Amino acid sequence: MRDFVDSRSRSKVELWASLGIFVVVAVIPAFVSNEYWLGVVIVSMYFALLAIGWNLLAGYTGQFSLAPATFGMLGAYTTGLLAYDLGSTARTGIPAAIIVAGAIGFVLARIVMRLRGPYLALTTLSFAEIVRLVISNSIEITRGDLGLNVPTFVEGRVTYYYLMLIVLLAVQLGLYILLRSPAGLYLRAIRDDEIAAACRGVNIVRWKTYAFTISAAISGLAGALYGHFAQLVSPELGLISQTGIIISMVVIGGLGTLVGPIGGAFLVYIASELLRDFGGYQLVVFALLVIIFGRFFREGLWGLLRAGFERVLARRVVQPVD
Amino acid sequence: MLALDLLFNGLIIGVFYSLMAIGLSLIFGILKVVNFAHGEFYMVGAYAYTLAAIMLGLSPWLALPFAFIIGAMVGLVVERLLMRPLYAGYASWGLMRDEYAVIITFGLSMLLINLVDKIVGPYAFKGPALIGVSRLYIGPIVISGHRLIAAITAVGVITVIMLVVRYSLWGRQIQAVAQNRFGASLAGINPAKASAVVFALAGGLAAMSGALLANIFNPTPDVGVFPAIKSYVIVVLGGMGSVPGGIIASLILGVLESFGSVYISYQYRDTFGLVILIIFLLFRPQGLFGQKSREV
Amino acid sequence: MPCLSIEQIAISFGGLQAIAGVTFAIEHGELIGLVGPNGSGKTTLINILSGHLVPDTGRVMLEEQSVEHLRPEALAHLGVLRMFQLTRIFSRMSVIDNLMVAGCALGLTQREAEGRALDLLQDLSLMRLKNAEAGQLSGGQMKLLEFGSCFMVSPKIALLDEPFAAVHPTMKEIMANFIRRRHAAGQTFMLVSHDMPVIVELCPRTVCMNAGTVIADGPTRTVLSDPVVIEAYLGEAAA
Repeated sequence: MRDFVDSRSRSKVELWASLGIFVVVAVIPAFVSNEYWLGVVIVSMYFALLAIGWNLLAGYTGQFSLAPATFGMLGAYTTGLLAYDLGSTARTGIPAAIIVAGAIGFVLARIVMRLRGPYLALTTLSFAEIVRLVISNSIEITRGDLGLNVPTFVEGRVTYYYLMLIVLLAVQLGLYILLRSPAGLYLRAIRDDEIAAACRGVNIVRWKTYAFTISAAISGLAGALYGHFAQLVSPELGLISQTGIIISMVVIGGLGTLVGPIGGAFLVYIASELLRDFGGYQLVVFALLVIIFGRFFREGLWGLLRAGFERVLARRVVQPVD
Repeated sequence: MLALDLLFNGLIIGVFYSLMAIGLSLIFGILKVVNFAHGEFYMVGAYAYTLAAIMLGLSPWLALPFAFIIGAMVGLVVERLLMRPLYAGYASWGLMRDEYAVIITFGLSMLLINLVDKIVGPYAFKGPALIGVSRLYIGPIVISGHRLIAAITAVGVITVIMLVVRYSLWGRQIQAVAQNRFGASLAGINPAKASAVVFALAGGLAAMSGALLANIFNPTPDVGVFPAIKSYVIVVLGGMGSVPGGIIASLILGVLESFGSVYISYQYRDTFGLVILIIFLLFRPQGLFGQKSREV
Repeated sequence: MPCLSIEQIAISFGGLQAIAGVTFAIEHGELIGLVGPNGSGKTTLINILSGHLVPDTGRVMLEEQSVEHLRPEALAHLGVLRMFQLTRIFSRMSVIDNLMVAGCALGLTQREAEGRALDLLQDLSLMRLKNAEAGQLSGGQMKLLEFGSCFMVSPKIALLDEPFAAVHPTMKEIMANFIRRRHAAGQTFMLVSHDMPVIVELCPRTVCMNAGTVIADGPTRTVLSDPVVIEAYLGEAAA
């Protein structure tokens, strides 16, 4: 039989673990001043936000959308276009990105409300590709594959670093509070058995819509922040391969846990940069890890760590009635 | 005349699409999941064909079945190693079959693309043509020799497959398992073997599609991404699990894209199919020829 | 005014008439059994009552309100809760969280829901499994959990679809005792089962269906010894 730690405590442990990761990340600039590597960690934080958003939708609500990268791209282009056409700053651009991405997420939710499994995946995949192609081809508006230049709004990479970290922290805390509330129960009920959830009184339409909207909004925020950092946004942000990377990060870290997406994002991205000098096989390795974890360890690295701990710590053993 | 030309070319492209779509349809019929790595079977076939011809010096007519076999073998290995949990109900994933399928096949797709990228490298290859004639004139239509011969070959293969699925023992077993897995096993059919056959067939067909088109779309690691998306559209349009539906839908899509790229928009020619996909999934998920399934 | 009134319900699926004109009423506080051979339409009827299917004709009245077109969520909020023949629980959530979903969704605060859930776990002898992952339970324990979910917020009527099927006698006893206690306190039940001894023991009144219609409705012992009912089950006159 599996462990019997209650779910409240379990999510608390996951939160503390993620805070631990944040502390480590916060301390890095004290030892590393190389601009390139600070940039690597900043990009990991962009992926961490995208991963958190997708994990909320797929890991907690069971909606396996293939469009997380698309919402990042939409957020990036919102702030980019506002800056390019209206000369607005990040102060308007970033909230606008959140709202626009969230709104489109809302619309997508209503469109895919009755779809499950492969049908949901295919619809979101088509949506992702259509959006990318439209952005890529609307050259007069978006400059197509050339991309848009986005102005920065913060002086200094280190400042940007801590800004992203604070945003990450805020989002993570917000999510923790959300998932501890009845909302967390409803979302997971929808994931485990939508029909049973409806029979117990859960408003499926409402909660699926919330999940899609919040997930999209977080992704839009991530994209906007990334845009101002990289100072360039292009349709490549919305490639299916980007979604593949996000999915890998979450699966490797631990799908459906609070710490999985964060740990996975930092691990996968930083490791792939570190290993870049060793022949560039990192993508192959990660793909392999995704398959292995998917096949054998559904709860990812975090699940393995937790299982290891529980073997070491004393725990109650309960005999079933049967 | 332009319209006839467009029609003919559209049908030909449709024929190539259908090779991929048939396999995907069969996989869905038997396992009820979408294979997101299907485009990579196509890619493997394209490379197998091209490299066999260029490096092993095989004639294109030998490289073609070679590509089929390689594709079939890859399909078989994938089925044995990765697809068992879908019907064995392994405790870790339990009821979340669709999620498992998405993650595993996505991961597989990434693996194959990057593996081929690393092993074969970024060199550009061009698949050899089946016949040397570059321009044939059939009445008012102009077509490349390779395209025509490839299309005829494809039609031949499709016909054989259709007959096999409908009338052979293997084919009937596959149909039985697709309709009722448990019932079929009670009747003495081994569902695992049927799944294996389906995956091998799907892999081989997609690989052949890649091989036949290697002359037109040069093999690159991500050459299979677009054909894959096309085949998803086709499978939904034709009805998941319906092979004849998939064939008809392929032809429709080919013609639609052909006309659409000239009369509507060349830039957005790839989006027609996607929009159709979404419309069908929302209003008629069983496609043109599929069957509606019940819920509770 | 009856609790639930089923009026001339009929539904067919692609040419097969699953239910053809079923009419009966359930009063508040009644515990009625619903029996009938396989394929008689019992589960289809429950699916209609719980909102999963919309009947082709007929009405379902929950007290004063016509509810046959409402969705499952709405019916749950109105107090119609059901169990499924093939047990449905939230397999990756803990046992107590399974109960909390039902409680919070129907309006309890988290604190109230937790209290209610603990009481239920106590009543159903599941307390030791409070934090176990529901998917790891035995089949009978899962049924007990699903059973408990129906009572986080006392329903107007509880529709139990074969709750005793393939369940260990100990757990069957727990469920039966629970039903008896709640019935004595005024809870309305409709109990579908093939377990005749339990039906006789618990239900004063029984409705029997066959081939989509009601063939008998009355005191349990009378119904179960009715030759028409026996014939329906055995297929031939066996009285």
